[in-house]
Amino acid sequence: MTKWIEYAYTLLDGLQVTLLITGSGLLLGLLIALVLTWILDKRVPVLHWLAEGYLLLITGTPLLVQIFLIYYGPAQFDWIKQSWAWQYLREPLFCAILALGMNAGAYTCRLFKGALDAVPKGETLACRALGMSEWQTLSVKLRHAMRRVIPAYSNEVVLVLKGSSLASTISIMDIMGLAQRINGQTYDTLTVFGVAGAIYLLMNSLLTWLFRLLERRALAFQQQG
Amino acid sequence: MMTHLLNAGLMTLGLALVSLAVGMVLAVLLCGAEMSRWRLLRLPASALTTVLRGLPEILVVFFIYFGSTHLLFLLTGEYIEFSPFWCGVTALSLLFAAYAAQTLRGALNAVSRGQRQAAQALGLPPLHTFVHIVLPQTWRHALPGLSNQWLVLLKDTALVSLIGVHDLMHQAKSAAASTYQPFTWYALAALIYLAITLVSQQGLKRLQARVTRYD
Repeated sequence: MTKWIEYAYTLLDGLQVTLLITGSGLLLGLLIALVLTWILDKRVPVLHWLAEGYLLLITGTPLLVQIFLIYYGPAQFDWIKQSWAWQYLREPLFCAILALGMNAGAYTCRLFKGALDAVPKGETLACRALGMSEWQTLSVKLRHAMRRVIPAYSNEVVLVLKGSSLASTISIMDIMGLAQRINGQTYDTLTVFGVAGAIYLLMNSLLTWLFRLLERRALAFQQQG
Repeated sequence: MMTHLLNAGLMTLGLALVSLAVGMVLAVLLCGAEMSRWRLLRLPASALTTVLRGLPEILVVFFIYFGSTHLLFLLTGEYIEFSPFWCGVTALSLLFAAYAAQTLRGALNAVSRGQRQAAQALGLPPLHTFVHIVLPQTWRHALPGLSNQWLVLLKDTALVSLIGVHDLMHQAKSAAASTYQPFTWYALAALIYLAITLVSQQGLKRLQARVTRYD
């Protein structure tokens, strides 16, 4: 029993890193998703082709390959190694966040675009008929889309949290990385991974619960009518 | 080395297909258990799906690969290493099953009650009702979800390279290490993954069109 607590104590050292990667990845993902959704929604010439290509490339390949490509890939090119970017690209933490953010951005964009497309066309027309400005129309559309986005986005958050564990493959000591290290030292596989799994499960249930709370709050305006 | 990579691509595809087959069987069992009348079946099944869906995939893969050896050691006192391939299949098919069971349950529930009652009223035996009335409709409802899970499964196969299965990712890793051209090899691997994904997407789209042609 004491072993459980001991492992949990050590593994929690990685909690900060896991949360940092997850949080930054989500933030970056949100940023990318907003830009991409805007490009796709407005059908910006040329750029929307690039955006489609990006989505295809990211959602069609494993996250692990993306992480390895970003972390190990640049070392092949001398011009990257001599540029300012190298000081960031050689940091595993930066690469993990970049990969996770780019990945989350693609999936989140699909989500946003789907939600926007699901807003009935009549609603936009009604706004225009009422003489609303472009921004007002957008705000109406967004409120409608939110109903779909918030529950689906909670799935995305869980996916990013789970995906952050792949940072351990490029030597980052997050929860998963520490679990692998302790397992290597003690061979107490079942207990170590069991405790790590419990921590991830706990975090995921907490996140899901928080989102349900947010859903009830943010969508309260719908219950009035 | 390119041919090695292509062969490894076939390995990845095979691994995914075997996991799909095993996973589908597990999904049906899990779905049945979750919908069963007996709590003794229902509770463990829902617990298993919840846990599998909440854990990082890499943890499940490691838990099964390292855990199975450890468990056997505890039981028999001997160190026997299970084949990484079959451990990978076990992990991937369990993960697939956890999500697919959910899809199947939703699809079964989506078949309207009236259909079953109508069949009953016509005097169709329960087994016939299930096979000829409920099952075809369930399949139709479940196909989009299952297609999605197949694409997730394809991408998750990359994880088994970490326990030493010689799949596409593993081959890319060793090619990158021996040529000092990591970007080239990982990009090539990514393209092969993309090709497999695109081809299966097209195939699934056709299957979908066929299945829903009477709608």
